[in-house]
Amino acid sequence: MEEELISKKDLLDETGISYGQLYRWKRKQLIPEEWFIRKSTFTGQETFFPRERILGRVQHILQKKDDLSLDELAGKLSEPLSQHQVILTVAQLRERNIVSDSSLERFGRPDSEGMLLTFEQILNLFAVDLLLSKGELNLEEADRLYLTLGTHTPGFAGRNWELFFVRKMGVSFYLMALSGAELAFDEGVRVVSRLSLADLTEQLKVRLIS
Amino acid sequence: MEKKELPDLQMDGVNTAAGGKYNKVNINGVSKINGALSAHTYKCDGVMKMNGDLAAEEIEINGNFRLKGDLQAGVMKLNGVLTGDGSLRGESCELDGMLKLKGNCEVEEMIGQGVFTIGGLLSAGRIEFGLNGLAEAGEIGVESLIIRKTGSAAWGRLLGGIIPKFKLELRAKLIEGDYIDLEYTAADVVRGGTVIIGEGCTIGRVEYRTGLTVHPGARVEKEEKHGA
Repeated sequence: MEEELISKKDLLDETGISYGQLYRWKRKQLIPEEWFIRKSTFTGQETFFPRERILGRVQHILQKKDDLSLDELAGKLSEPLSQHQVILTVAQLRERNIVSDSSLERFGRPDSEGMLLTFEQILNLFAVDLLLSKGELNLEEADRLYLTLGTHTPGFAGRNWELFFVRKMGVSFYLMALSGAELAFDEGVRVVSRLSLADLTEQLKVRLIS
Repeated sequence: MEKKELPDLQMDGVNTAAGGKYNKVNINGVSKINGALSAHTYKCDGVMKMNGDLAAEEIEINGNFRLKGDLQAGVMKLNGVLTGDGSLRGESCELDGMLKLKGNCEVEEMIGQGVFTIGGLLSAGRIEFGLNGLAEAGEIGVESLIIRKTGSAAWGRLLGGIIPKFKLELRAKLIEGDYIDLEYTAADVVRGGTVIIGEGCTIGRVEYRTGLTVHPGARVEKEEKHGA
């Protein structure tokens, strides 16, 4: 399955930014080069972007650009490695509203407010919280998701994974695969949710630096 | 900054040097540098060959410059010919002559005259350029772009002698920007806010948001208005 894309024209229409801004941000390396995806269409070559990620990033830049100069912002956005070493306490997660209270209570062991969490742990919590808040999981399923992520993300060793949450006849289960893998399910299966590491990281990163 | 502690590099005549980190680099004559070089200021007159990347806050080049790597510049002044295999990234570029790059050229400001050949994307906040010959770019993405014809300057005559049918034109597949003001340009697609298509243009399709002016001496196959 492919990531949903948005064309450059639609991006400008949807966000109200101009060509000049888009190119300026590209020059300032606020938007990664890999996000500019060239594709042939019937009108010639067009540029597309990964929809969720670019929309999140544009909103983020628009919100922040009054407080920070573009260079400062670029510095903050382009430090993926140091971001991965982010360590926050449970209390900080709550304070900065990165993960909701109810999820923290369930998974974050409220007795240990000062407990340090690594980026991976925060990401797992964030993923669970995201689906819970969308109302796509019940609490018991959330427990299992947290466990699944905890056990299997290390096995992907930094490679991009995708997580599928599927249901068939009321029975739910998770499936993790390398990003870009083609999965086929039988007819009765409904894919309730799909998360990718890249999207999650992007969303979490934006929350962490804001 | 501890710029003072870095050594200077001064070369005159025919020379070869290794790369490295310098404060001031001043080169006259025919020279070759093997390896990447970074400096605070970089000035070169004559013929220079560089096998590596070049990064400097101030660059001034007079003459013929051949670069194997990428170029990173704060303020760059180029009089002459620069041929590069990589990309240029910088603040401003003042050009009088010829800029040839296989990669992208991304600067905040590009002003000058002559010709350029950019293999990839030419992106800038502001481009004001006078054409002296055939200029080419894969794609152009800007805030404001003004292309003019700079008549029979010495350059035009000189190059005209070398290449018999020397055409004065800018060619690009795609030009996008907020303000685009063109003359003597051939492009497949032009997209922008305010678009002015001047004399001598041949454009496949123009998409504009706020305004479009087309000179009677220009050819536009298709016009489309987009957005509010």
